[in-house]
Amino acid sequence: MATVQVCEAEKVYILHGIRDDLRVDGRGCEDYRHMEIETDVVSNTDGSAKVTLGHTAVLVGIKAEIGKPRPMVPDEGYLEFFVDCSANATPEFEGRGGEELGMELSTTLYKVFNNKHSVDLKSLCITAAEHCWVLYVDVLLLQCDGNLYDAISIAIKAALFNTKIPRVHISVDEEGGKEIELSDDPYDCMRLDVTNVPCIVTLCKVGHRHVVDATLQEKACSVASLIISVTQKGTITCVRKVGGGSLDPESIFEMTEAGKRVGKALHAPLIKLLQQEESLGKKRQKVGFLG
Amino acid sequence: MPTDTKRLRGPDVSKSPSLYFSKPPATVASHGPRADGRQRDQVDIRPIFVRCGLVSQAKGSAYIEAGNTKLMCCAYGPRETERKDETDMKCGRLITDMRFAPFSCPERTSWIQGTQDRDLSLMLQESLQPAICLHKYPRSQIEVNVMVLENNGSVLAHAITCASLALADAGIEMYDLVLGCSMRQDGASYVVDPSYIEESSCSSDRENQGCLTVAFLPSLNQISGLQSDGEMTEATLTTGVRTCIEGCYKLYPVIQQALASTVRKAAPPPSES
Amino acid sequence: MAAGFKTAEPLEYHRSFLKENCRPDGRVLSEFRTTTLNIGSISTADGSALVKVGSTTVICGIKAELANPAVETPGKGYIVPNVDLPPLCSSRFRPGPPGEQAQAASQFIADVIESSEVIDTEDLCIERGKLCWVLYCDIICLDYDGNILDACVIALLAALKNTKLPEVTVNTETSTPEVNVEKRSLLHIHKHPVAASFCVFDDSILIVDPTDEEEKLSTAQLTVVTDEEGQLCSVHKPGGTSLSGEKLQECISRATARQREIQKLIDKVIKSIKTAK
Repeated sequence: MATVQVCEAEKVYILHGIRDDLRVDGRGCEDYRHMEIETDVVSNTDGSAKVTLGHTAVLVGIKAEIGKPRPMVPDEGYLEFFVDCSANATPEFEGRGGEELGMELSTTLYKVFNNKHSVDLKSLCITAAEHCWVLYVDVLLLQCDGNLYDAISIAIKAALFNTKIPRVHISVDEEGGKEIELSDDPYDCMRLDVTNVPCIVTLCKVGHRHVVDATLQEKACSVASLIISVTQKGTITCVRKVGGGSLDPESIFEMTEAGKRVGKALHAPLIKLLQQEESLGKKRQKVGFLG
Repeated sequence: MPTDTKRLRGPDVSKSPSLYFSKPPATVASHGPRADGRQRDQVDIRPIFVRCGLVSQAKGSAYIEAGNTKLMCCAYGPRETERKDETDMKCGRLITDMRFAPFSCPERTSWIQGTQDRDLSLMLQESLQPAICLHKYPRSQIEVNVMVLENNGSVLAHAITCASLALADAGIEMYDLVLGCSMRQDGASYVVDPSYIEESSCSSDRENQGCLTVAFLPSLNQISGLQSDGEMTEATLTTGVRTCIEGCYKLYPVIQQALASTVRKAAPPPSES
Repeated sequence: MAAGFKTAEPLEYHRSFLKENCRPDGRVLSEFRTTTLNIGSISTADGSALVKVGSTTVICGIKAELANPAVETPGKGYIVPNVDLPPLCSSRFRPGPPGEQAQAASQFIADVIESSEVIDTEDLCIERGKLCWVLYCDIICLDYDGNILDACVIALLAALKNTKLPEVTVNTETSTPEVNVEKRSLLHIHKHPVAASFCVFDDSILIVDPTDEEEKLSTAQLTVVTDEEGQLCSVHKPGGTSLSGEKLQECISRATARQREIQKLIDKVIKSIKTAK
């Protein structure tokens, strides 16, 4: 993981600031940095989104492919996550350096989506036990400036919102053989319901308080953080402690409470923003990567 | 799927006979007493059997048995670190490896480590690290290897307990023991220390269900590891964490006793004569 | 003093014991360590056994799966043995794919199964050319203190004797197999091969059941596998100093005696399980 070295004096400065609810960049403890979201940025995916949060930038592309349902759940499709830590983000990821972090991020994503309501997997089924849609969610880290989890989860939610899966028609011939036909019309497509897709909130314990959306400097001052993924209803789909330190039970309870509050508040503006962007249609000015 | 050239391989495809069972597998009732006679909605952990120092070659080792969940852990080190590129040499490194024996689960697992093993290894490392005085072992590494011999649920929780025992047995300086406990929420009721079937049973489309594993430092009252999945409300999660802590406290005297008896065996108290 | 001598001059240390016809752990030259056996302790496996020879501990679990028989042998099933020496069992093994020693041990076990005909692979066939059993025999070393081959063979044999396979019938209409879990039957064990390992010290002294340290210091190693009829199944001598025919004969007769001891032990343990039930 990209880390920075922070000297003792700087640590004390950051710590005291957080104690007084004033962070180095002027934010309060539960404020996010400036966030930019753009969807439909990669034309050869079925859905994509780019999110920048402070200097952290992630790109998520979703490809839908037809696959075979898992034998245990024949009437559902499934999601596959892959996180690529490109050496662009930080030189530490060069070679196999990013592999460990990528694995950690993707297994957490599997846990976050390991429940029945996040994505309606039944709608991804084409024919039971034979064909289903498999959504390959590819996450590319472009820049790391702390708080990867939150940025990734928001980008995934935006990309899922943006995903258009072509409609399929199943025709049965005389011998009972099934044929799958993809719709030719690019506008004849299926959209996913993203209302219940959770967002991840990472809370860093710094001193006696905890902060949302920590920068790398703040992260260096913290012993442990808690990852909480929250749906818009406030249901918690995954909690995980990361980092080398331990937390006392009371602060865990406080942090889950705060995480739920912050996470819940994240969803409504996000959906509004996404709908707004969508309603602009072709008129929308594309910003792209250099914007 | 990478082919394994260093092991003897059987046929390319083989299927578990459980796919063809003539009878459907038994489902777990979500109410009433549990299959093994334990109580639902109570901190009813399985009685555990623990022993330290069973492996002659290891610096420290421990074996734990909770119901049918059996696992073994060996600790090696401190020895010189293998990774020289680390900038932070002031602190020792903890390396964890958790593996399942191919015959440990109802379905045979491959020898090749999957993402699940690696994820569990990571969780194990994060749960143990806060308890070890790593600053006392500069430029060195401490290795913890866990082998699951039989998986009947709550593997991670017991692996954490077992690993901390092995570390203590190895004489690694620690702030506290680490105890693990897990629970499964299923609708309105919950089960503590779930068995394999209870863990994997996914009853209907109910909300508020999930698994939770807590690693706890009992004398410092700190949580060193926390992981949950599924869907839970905040209130459920909070009570879940409290329940798991209670479970850890139930485990504590047994673990203490096991450690004490190992120490007594290694260095018998001077006879009073 | 003795500890210092042992670390500084391990070979001399051992020699001084061997001169007196005994070994550092108090055994005489032709004595095996205490062997204990625990059969059927893993309920997730179809058959299992844990063997301790001194402090060397080996566990074997057998999982049966269904597969199509190979085209060239339509009437036979498969037995796939694998020996794993994980980093858990000794500090000398590293994580990752199996090393040379583990690979050699797996091959040795496979050869013993093949040459001793412990199980007739035709017994594993369910329907000729269509369906057969695959027995995955996974052997894991939990504590490495020398003489792992002996322990592996005992663990394998005991686990096989404990393996119960469910009854399988092939539905003639759908040609899908149907497994009846309630009706399980034991495997038919044709032969009982048991291994005995020896070490040669200073090109001449022969010791039985070497510990890890003795293995390291020895000049040659030898493993003899015999069955209950005194037939030789395998003689494995990977390099090292040469051995006279006389000495080899000595090893073989010790191995046949060992075979009887182990078979008696396995029978005793199996019987005790049955009476416990």
